[in-house]
Amino acid sequence: MLSYALRRLLGAIPTLFILLTLAFVMMRAAPGGPFDADRELPPQVRANLEAKYHLDEPLYQQYGRYIWDIAHFDFGPSFQYRDTSVNDLIASGFPVSLKLGAASLAFALIFGIPLGMLAALRQNRPADYGAMAIAMLGISIPNFVLAPLMILVLAVYNDWLPAGGLGGWQNYVMPVLALGTAMMAYVARLARGSTIEVMRSNYIRTARAKGLSATRVVWVHALPAALTPIVSFLGPAAAGIITGSVVIETIFGIPGLGQFFVQGALNRDYTLVMGVVLFYGILIVAFNLAVDLLYGWLDPRVSY
Amino acid sequence: MLFVALLITACSSDESEKFPVKSTPEIREDGSTVLRRGNGAEPESLDPHQARSVPAANVLRDLYSGLVQISPSGAIKPADAESWEVDDDERVYTFKLRDDLRWSNGEPLTAQDYVYSLRRSVDPATGSPYAQLHAAIVNAKAIIAGEKPPQALGVRAVDEHRLEITLTAPTPYFLGTLAHSISYPVYRPAVEEYGAAFSQPGNAVTNGAYRMESWRVNSMIALERNPEYWDDANTSIGRVEFYPITNQNSALSRYQAGELDWATTVPISRLETIKKHIPAQLHAEPTLGVYYYGLNVKRPPFKDAPELRQALSMAIDRRTIVDKITRGDEIPAHGWIPPVVEGYAGAQFDWAKLSTAQREAKAQELYKKAGYSQDKPLKVEIRYNSGEGNKKIASVIAAMWRSVLGAEVSLRNEEWKVFLDSVRQGTDTEAYRLAWIGDYNDPNTFFELMNSKFGLNGTGYASAEYDRLQEKQAHMPDEPERMKVMKKAEAVLLADSPIIPIYFYVSKYLIKDYVKGFEGNPLDSYYSKDLSIEP
Repeated sequence: MLSYALRRLLGAIPTLFILLTLAFVMMRAAPGGPFDADRELPPQVRANLEAKYHLDEPLYQQYGRYIWDIAHFDFGPSFQYRDTSVNDLIASGFPVSLKLGAASLAFALIFGIPLGMLAALRQNRPADYGAMAIAMLGISIPNFVLAPLMILVLAVYNDWLPAGGLGGWQNYVMPVLALGTAMMAYVARLARGSTIEVMRSNYIRTARAKGLSATRVVWVHALPAALTPIVSFLGPAAAGIITGSVVIETIFGIPGLGQFFVQGALNRDYTLVMGVVLFYGILIVAFNLAVDLLYGWLDPRVSY
Repeated sequence: MLFVALLITACSSDESEKFPVKSTPEIREDGSTVLRRGNGAEPESLDPHQARSVPAANVLRDLYSGLVQISPSGAIKPADAESWEVDDDERVYTFKLRDDLRWSNGEPLTAQDYVYSLRRSVDPATGSPYAQLHAAIVNAKAIIAGEKPPQALGVRAVDEHRLEITLTAPTPYFLGTLAHSISYPVYRPAVEEYGAAFSQPGNAVTNGAYRMESWRVNSMIALERNPEYWDDANTSIGRVEFYPITNQNSALSRYQAGELDWATTVPISRLETIKKHIPAQLHAEPTLGVYYYGLNVKRPPFKDAPELRQALSMAIDRRTIVDKITRGDEIPAHGWIPPVVEGYAGAQFDWAKLSTAQREAKAQELYKKAGYSQDKPLKVEIRYNSGEGNKKIASVIAAMWRSVLGAEVSLRNEEWKVFLDSVRQGTDTEAYRLAWIGDYNDPNTFFELMNSKFGLNGTGYASAEYDRLQEKQAHMPDEPERMKVMKKAEAVLLADSPIIPIYFYVSKYLIKDYVKGFEGNPLDSYYSKDLSIEP
């Protein structure tokens, strides 16, 4: 298994390289640059800034320099936030996004899996319809509707939770609900589908025939197999959720990573965009690997 | 279920009946007060010479103190300089600095610090977007252009407490530029030791009423009172927090929930509700800003076509745009200089007072004179940067041009940076929208933009007559004679119509009742030190 993991990690290097190259080319192909503003810079000042950030060099040279810096874990200075570096921006944003993302993920799993399994075990009965109605609602209500509504009721009309900002755990309640609800609904639907399928399979029939209790059949035998599709969904979803959400961050005033993707692109902050894209790429690779390793543990048929 | 419950609660509380606003100031255990300000976007830099945005300027005004400052009502008053003398030619300013000036680390602040900082502000290596604000100082233009070293700047420390600044010609608005962040002093040892990171907490040494406490991008900038500040005895608020909140509705929610004492933006859709429930907390202040359409005079159809440009300008009913689209009490613009600019009653379009029918008839007449008719309509494109407001205004203007003149108008929106690039290049733009915000309270900050040599003029307008008048008034003593020249310059500009002013901006703030000392000023220059919190 170790050699499998190593092989996968080595294989990820070209992938990330292509990702980086594509991001570099696309950012540079976009019209306008980091120093374009409604108050235009005097030509000499612009030239000096471009020299300072090496934008006056030929593109291939800039690319080479960038790859060299990346190899030394240096994402470079931010073009937009002049007083700081991309490393510092990611280091300050990621812990917040991680906390928020992990909590939303936990919320989605803790409520989504039992809800889905309940629906599966009571298939085509009121409990099923109820659970799936909740799931449908969760999927269809966009978080940019849910979030302001929660703020209005829980923070403005009532003094139960803070309306935004970063403080204690209370500040995380609404963002977690806003971010986790849709995912919870999705997980519930996946859990329902896979549980229904698993419950019809031969080994479950065998387990039942052996006279095992219903609880044991469901929790010990059916659950691990039913989790497999959820796990494969979780890999990329987790990478996505812990790199932040621009909508949630903007509405609740949370300093996560998500805003950097959008602000970076709008400001033509080349280094910041490349930094967060690469960071996201690395997370995707890592989570996909973790998922594949988890398969082996959940499903005895999988071997490396 | 959560959603349904929320929906029921939200809908059952009738908006017109209920608009709760929590009104409890934050007071710390030691009795000192905290001012929580919404601040729009995240400042791009807190280096006074690099900063370019309003949110950055708001924070810098608390962190630093310049030679002069803007009083709550907008007047220029002494700050680091307790007095100054001007020679008879109005070219040499000698500032007498206060004896007790100190940096936040206790080190004395001297005239040498100002010399270093002013040189740094125009040094092309600094990359300052506002370097041109110092263009009046001897050799500044040559330094910005990289032709002379920064040491050549006409700035000299006569002694520890006296600073001499020499101008190339009398400049009536010069003192106003000294209140701008480009003129703040920076602490040389920190700049040299930390480079770009000198503004970060721990590194930052400042000389204003507050010092840097913490800075988390996209979350909050916190400042603490600076006991070394020369006027600390008159400072009341102990701590200032700036929150970058780009979403206007979020800012309003946080204001209502008691998490902000001052919200810098108001969602237009809620303006009526706010006016009804908390009129005393709403402050609408006309500012030095104009929303305008530029016409690219380097290309057809606007090249050599002043009649056409006038006709298009005339065909726009500004009142309708302000009343129906922007709806924020903006002022319709029938001239180029905002009416709040001090000491100048602007010129107006000669047709500004005509009735709608007369105005439209005149526009049609000019349109015909320019060679267009129903059979040969003008085909023109309006370009604007993406944004709901810009889109609505462009649609309405297109409709007015169509119905009044019969022009064929197409709309094109572009993302901000793409748009700026297009306007700068000017190779395929026709009519485009932009805005201009004044840097100091003098008409020149608007006049200068349209000078062909200023470099920020995307219309390509180049009138020798206008340039001459603009340059003349910029270096005349501030007397009635200057007023005449300015009016002439504005009249030339309005007749040539390379720009179509649409409306003048009005800033809107929500400020809690317990925050005292706020007065509106057209520069939007507010210092937290001038405020107090009295529950």
